[in-house]
Parts: sequence; structure tokens; C-alpha cells
Amino acid sequence: MTFWTYRRRDNLVGYLFVAPALLGSLAFVLIPLGLVAWYSLNEWNVLGGTFEFIGGENYKQLLADEKLRESLVATAWFAAGLVVLNLSLALLLAVLLNQKLRGTTLFRTLFFSPVLVSLVAWTLVWQLMLQPDGSVNGLLSVLGVDGPNWLRGESTAMVSVIVVQVIKNVGLNMVLFLAALQGVPAPLYEAAKIDGAGAWRRFRSITIPLISPTILLTSIITIVGSLQVFAQIAVLTQGGPGTSTTVLIYYLYQQAFQFHHFGYGATISVLLFVIVAALTLVQWRMRRKWVLHEA
Amino acid sequence: MRRKVSKRNVALYGLLCVLCVPFVFPTWWMVTSSMKPISEIFSESLLPSEWTFSTYSQVFRMQPFGQQYWNSLYIAVIVTVGTMAVAALAGYAFARIRFPGQNALFVVVLTGLLIPSEVTIVPLFQLFQSLGLTNTHWPLIIVPIFGAPCVLAIFIMRQFFIALPPELEEAARMDGLGRAGIFYRIALPLSRPALGAVAIFTFLHSWNLYLEPIVYLSTPDMFTLPQALTQFVDIYGGPMFNVQLAAATMTAVPILVVFVLAQRQFIEGLAHTGVKG
Amino acid sequence: MSRLIALICTALLALTACSGSAASGPKSLRMTVWTANEAHLKLLNDIATEYKASHPDVTEIKYDSIPADGYTTTLTTQIAGGNAPDLAWILEESAPDFVASGALAPIRSKVEKADELVPSATKLWEKDGELYAYPFSTSPFGLFVNTSLVKDVPETWTWDQAMAAAAASGKGLVLPDFKYQNWAVLSAIWRGWGANAWSEDGRSCGFSSKEMKDAMTFVHKAIFTDKAIPGPGTTVDFFAGDASMAVSQISRAGALKDAKFTWTLVPLPQGPKGDYAVIGQAGVGVLKRSKNADAAADFLGFLTNEANSAKLAQFFPPVRASLLNAETLAKSNPLIRPEQLQSVVIEGINKGVVKPSHQGQEELNQTIRAALDPLWKPDANVGQVLDGVCAKIKPLLERK
Repeated sequence: MTFWTYRRRDNLVGYLFVAPALLGSLAFVLIPLGLVAWYSLNEWNVLGGTFEFIGGENYKQLLADEKLRESLVATAWFAAGLVVLNLSLALLLAVLLNQKLRGTTLFRTLFFSPVLVSLVAWTLVWQLMLQPDGSVNGLLSVLGVDGPNWLRGESTAMVSVIVVQVIKNVGLNMVLFLAALQGVPAPLYEAAKIDGAGAWRRFRSITIPLISPTILLTSIITIVGSLQVFAQIAVLTQGGPGTSTTVLIYYLYQQAFQFHHFGYGATISVLLFVIVAALTLVQWRMRRKWVLHEA
Repeated sequence: MRRKVSKRNVALYGLLCVLCVPFVFPTWWMVTSSMKPISEIFSESLLPSEWTFSTYSQVFRMQPFGQQYWNSLYIAVIVTVGTMAVAALAGYAFARIRFPGQNALFVVVLTGLLIPSEVTIVPLFQLFQSLGLTNTHWPLIIVPIFGAPCVLAIFIMRQFFIALPPELEEAARMDGLGRAGIFYRIALPLSRPALGAVAIFTFLHSWNLYLEPIVYLSTPDMFTLPQALTQFVDIYGGPMFNVQLAAATMTAVPILVVFVLAQRQFIEGLAHTGVKG
Repeated sequence: MSRLIALICTALLALTACSGSAASGPKSLRMTVWTANEAHLKLLNDIATEYKASHPDVTEIKYDSIPADGYTTTLTTQIAGGNAPDLAWILEESAPDFVASGALAPIRSKVEKADELVPSATKLWEKDGELYAYPFSTSPFGLFVNTSLVKDVPETWTWDQAMAAAAASGKGLVLPDFKYQNWAVLSAIWRGWGANAWSEDGRSCGFSSKEMKDAMTFVHKAIFTDKAIPGPGTTVDFFAGDASMAVSQISRAGALKDAKFTWTLVPLPQGPKGDYAVIGQAGVGVLKRSKNADAAADFLGFLTNEANSAKLAQFFPPVRASLLNAETLAKSNPLIRPEQLQSVVIEGINKGVVKPSHQGQEELNQTIRAALDPLWKPDANVGQVLDGVCAKIKPLLERK
């Protein structure tokens, strides 16, 4: 018996294989995260160069912060609107493209193309198009609609940010759904047809359950992603009008980088991390209830 | 019967065309407006009244745009290749090899998926500053390959390898192949579609990176494209929209062309990530 | 674990703080600026080259152009990360933060003939009698008028008359930097009513005062009733000939070099409280944490000496009394007539009030911007909105 049994060697290979990722996580994720947690217990005046331990003061401020509450409400609206619109539009497009129709490849290309346009370019273009005399309202006026001043109304600003983000990224989810739809065995539909099930019934009872793993994956990625939308807000609305589009990540940026409250910014970072982790955990736990293969 | 079908198709085509507008129009508008005189940017015309290409030469005059293009491109390529390697190795190990502490380590790695980059940018900046690596491209290369952005890639690769039939590996092991051999000869070649998806995700992520370059880089010849896009301003800091749009067009169009040419491999590769959810 | 983290953290902080220790031998200086304009940078580089020739120990002087949009944010991120520049341009609105925090090194002793600096211009950059940044650009607001559109420009105007002329011209009056975001620009109007954003000591809010309400009612009426000021979200460029008047800083005159219309520059119209002037400023300071703070301060002295101030005057109006005469200024400002320089620039700098600024300015900026947003609607209740502004910023003003 040698010391290097197959199992031992296998273990070693396993550790070696995960080592780069693990060391990277340690250096670039966990230690920085620990440092952020440490900063949140301090008052850090960047300009003056002072760094002072203040214990839970920042967390007390967090509880009393009225703007933070407004920001959480905006975040909730943004995330909910984004996820619902993104997933339903992605599913709709996937179903349409899954029809036996010539030219679906062309449409697939077109729907996917915004994914490839760089984010900053995309946002700049929309910023110009959404001005009151911009081309969005130009197109609407052709239809006889008098368009609003999109980025300066409280609800229209939120709608604009959501729509711009959804159109940019819905192509990814669409492709994932399309692949899932093509994986649904055709005989299932045939059988259901013979049993007299209508199109909607077939969609609900066959399609949805069978593609539920994909719905889970896309909804996790989309929700987590929605809490990280920063550049779009920075370019389009700067959090306004009022504080209507100041989502949490933007508020964090304001506090830390614009108002120079690095310690408090770190505290909001910790809160954001907790929220993202909790949401992901809940979704993961709930998957047994509604995802077909996990039951 | 036949007529009924075609009516349905006409309706479908109509719907698809209408839905297409918001996806196609911005790109169309970006390209055409970059050739409009600045006074026409807010006009409703779909095409410029007079075509001007001077904005394109202005892009190169105002910024070292060629250099910036190269910066973005080579960073994205290195990051893509590096991420594919790290993610394939880790994804394979987490999926196919049993070793003590595996699940705990996987959870540790997954934490990165949950952290927006704004959260850790200050400590990371301090780290690179203490290593003397600010205003270099190292932070934009090392962090994505080994840090948080890599985690999604690891996740995708793991999901792919988990679904691989075990029989293939059993046979290879019988033939006397070691773990590394199995990975390199059997599993890796089979994972091409998933690797393709990882490559696309990673390339786009690096290509779009915005906050990090702004924080790390300070001289125009080191800038990357998204950062350079916001720099086309007149002496008083007012944005020069048409020059910005010309630059934006030049960053977007080559990628779109590559996509159209290779779109089957592209989308089908991507699709493989979702099937096994 | 927490001890480990604390340990690493202290190590990191120590590392970054260490970089502040003095260095000897060849020095290189880095200065952050928000201009990327070739002409500006060429002049700055010429001055640097001249300086290096006489100071062989300074091997390099580098200007980092950071976009004006987000300039202060990027600067403080660099400082937080331990990568503070040696010198930095500082916007007037962040002056109180930088001066009060102790981030800047004192420089009065390095400034050539510091006594001739105009007091109204250095006030913002002083603390306890010491000067912490040199106001290299002091730019008064004036009223640019497109005389192709408005033929009749009287010697002295009131705001009512000017606004009526703007409305009658059909093209309106613009405030190019305002964009319904940078509310501080409006001080160029409301000072005419004697209104202030906050009291002299910065402790009490001025938005709910009668003067402010009158001034803002005037602005609101001009936008929504008389249509004399283009509404929110519209882009109207005076310098391209799309507007009949612009309230802007004198340093913008350069944009009119190739103008296809005739124009003139007059002082801001009179408000109910008579004559007044408002200036925007920028200073350049030496970061205390710079390794080469002494060399940097020395270079700053050179950059702002009499001879170089005169060169810089073509872009940045100077604050040296010896340069503040129409004759000297005319040499570097060929676009503006001497009498305009006298009435707008020289008198403006001498009697001007700097745009509002306060410690914690950026937070105030964002809070006021958000609180003023409801004002930019046709049916807004001006008084109510302004009272709301005060309710929001009161805690910020009262903070230490």
C-alpha cells in the first residue's frame, strides 16, 4: 500500500483545481468584505485623514436614517419592476421565437443585439433619446401621443430606468428560455392536445413546470443583478427627481464617495450584502416548492 | 386551413416587428446621429440632413482612442482566457471530485456572486495602491480572473460538469488515465459549449467595466473605452454629444458585426448554460 | 477572525499612511486638474518645463485630467486609497470641506506678493489667517446677449426688463450650467433680491426667507408663465445661437470665438436690491499628505507668481490687484472690450460674492437638488417647496 492512494491523489487534485479560485476569493472578496465590516465600525474622515473607532454608532444612524428608508422603497420598486418585466418579456419573446416561423433567427439576433452594446454607450444614447424634445417623444408624436418629460417625473423616471435596463439585458434571459423551451419534449404537447387542453392550459401545465429550473436561475441572476445597477442610474437620473430613483447601491455611492462618509458607506455596504444574501437564500430554499426537478 | 395559418403568421410577424423597435432603434439612432451636425441631434429626422464624418476624426484627435481601444481589447481577451481556465478547473473539481470540505469551500467561493463591486472597491483600491499597481491594468485583469466576477463562470462550469454522464470518466479511468488526464482529455473538450458561454459573459463584463477603470486609472493613454466615452467634452466640461456618439458607435459596431457573423455558435453556446439550470 | 481582520487592516492603513513620509532625491509632482483642453494643458506644461529647468531636483510635473463630472469624487477616492496627488485643483463648492478638514498644507509664505490678492477672492480659501489654496481662477457671472436677436441693450437693466426682452426675442435666456440640477448657479439671480442660501455663519437656512421666495417666484414665472427661460430637459445652446441671452461665467467668452452672431457682455441686471455680482472660483492647493509637499508648494508659488498669473489670465481671471486692470486683461482677452472687462470682470471680482458653499457641500447639494425638484413644474407652490428645502437641510446646517 503506498501512501498515495487514488483517493488521496484525487483529493489533492481537487484542492489544486479549486486553489486559484479559492485564493482569489480570499484576497479579492472575503478579506475586502471583512475590511468593509471593520470600516463600518469606524468614523473615517478621508480628507482629514482621521480614522476613529466608534462601535455601533453607524448602525444606530442606519436605523434612524430617513433617506435610507426612501432608498429602500425605491430599491424594492426598482427590483420588483425590473424582475417582473424582464422575466415576462423574456418568456414572451422566447415563446414567439419558438414558433415554427421563417426568419426567427433574424429576430433573435435583433432582440439580442443590445446585450452587446457597451453599457455606457447604451445609457448615453437613451439619455439623449429620453429628453423632452428627444426621439422617443418624436416617435410617440407620430402616433399622436404627447410624451412626458421622462427623466424628470417621479414615476416616469423610475419606469424609464427600468425599461432601459430591461431592453438592454432581456436578450440573455430570452436565449436561456428559448433553449429551455426547445428542451420540452413535443409528444407531451401532442398528448395534451388530444386530451383537449387549450394553448394557455398547455403553457401553464406543461411549459412552466418543465422550464422551472431555468426560471429559477434567471430570476436569481436578475434579482441579484437588479441590486447592482449603478452606471445607468448615475447617467440617466442621478437618483432624481427628488430621491425617486436613489436605489441602495446609488445611495451607498453617494454617502461613501460623494459625501465622504466612508464609514457610513461601509455600513450601507454591509446592509446591501445582507439583503442580497438573504434574498438569494430565500429563493434557493423556495425552489423545492415550485421547481420541478428539485421536489 | 392554409389561409388561417398564414393569417396567424402575419399577426406574429407584426407583433415581432413592433417589439423589435425599442431594441433596434437606439443602435440605429446612435449610428446615424454620430454623423449629424450637433444642432440636429434633437431633431426628429431619422437620417442626417447632411452627412458629416468629421466627428470620427475628432474622436481620435481628442483622445488616444486607438490606444484606448487596444487597452480594452487586450484586457478583455486576457481576462476571458484566464477566467475560462480558472472557472473550468474549479467548476470541474466542485462538480466531479469528492474532497473533504468541498461544500463549505463552494459556499465560500459563491459569496463573490453576492457582492456588488462598489462594496469592496475601497479596500481593493488600497490593496493595489500598496502594491504600487494603480494606474496600471493589473487590477482590471487580476480581480476579474480570480475574484468576484469569476464566480458566475465557476457556477456555470460546475452546472455543466455535474450533468456529464459518469460512464465516460469511468472508462477513461479504466484505461489508466489520472484525474488531470481525465479533465484535460475528456471533460474539457466536452465542455466547449459551456466554455463558450463563459467566454461571452466574461468578455462582455470586462468590455463594459465602468467603475473600476475610473477609480484605478488616471491617465488618458491607460483608459479603457467606457471610461473614454465620457471624456469627450468641450473646454468647459459640456459633453460633445455627436463626438460621444461617434466613439460609442465605434465601440459597439465591431462587436455587433462579430456577433452577427458568429451568432449561431454564440447563442447556442449561451443557451447551454440554462438547460440544466 | 476579527482580530486577524483588524491586524490586516492596520497593516494596510499603515502601508498607505507610510507613503506620506518625506522623500529625498529626485522628485516628481502630480497635479489633478479637470480640464483636458489642449490649450490649457499646453500652457500648464510650458510653465512646468520652465520650472524644471531651474529646479533640477524636480524631474517630472504631471497633470492628471479627471473629468469635471465627478472630479471631487475621483479625487477623494484617490486620497482615501492613499494615492493623494501632490497638488489639486479644487472647486469652490468643495473649498470649505478641504480647507476645514486639514487636508491642505498652508501656502501663504510661498505665494509671491500675497498681500496684493483681492480679499473678496481669498476669503473662501482661508482659515485662521492662513491661506490653504490659491484662487487661480475667479470668474464673475455676466449676462451674454446675442445682439443679432436682441438689438436694444440699455446701459443698466433690471431683471424685469431683461427677462421681458428675452421673452420677446422668442428664444429665451439660458443658464448653461444650471440644467435644473446645479441650483447654486441660480445665486447669480437671487443675489439681486438679496437672498442667500444660508446665513453668513452657515448655521441657518435662507431658502424660506421672503427675499428668496420673491426671487424664486420670479424665476418660476419666467420659466413657466412667460416662457423666457427654456423649461426642464430642453437643451438650448446660447453659444450656438439658439438663445438670446445667457447668464454665464466670463471665462466662457472663449466659446464665442467663432460665433456666427454678434454679441455683447453686460453685468448682471439689477435686482430689487440694486447692483450686485456673483463669482465662481477654483483654487489649487497642496495636499498635506503628499511626499513632496514642500516641493509642491514651491511649484505652486511659481505657477501663481505675477508673470505666470498674467499668462494664465487668458483662461482664468486673476486675483492679483496689479493684474486687475482693463489694460492688462485686454491683452489676454481679445474678445471682450476694455469697458466690458472693467464693468463685468474687475468690478465683479472686487465686489463679488462667491457662489454658495458650505462644509458637507455635496450632501447639501444633493439634498437641495432633490428638495427643489418639485419646483420645476408649472403648478408648483413656490413658498411651500422652499420651506420644504429648509426643513430638509436644517439638520445638515446645524451639524458641527
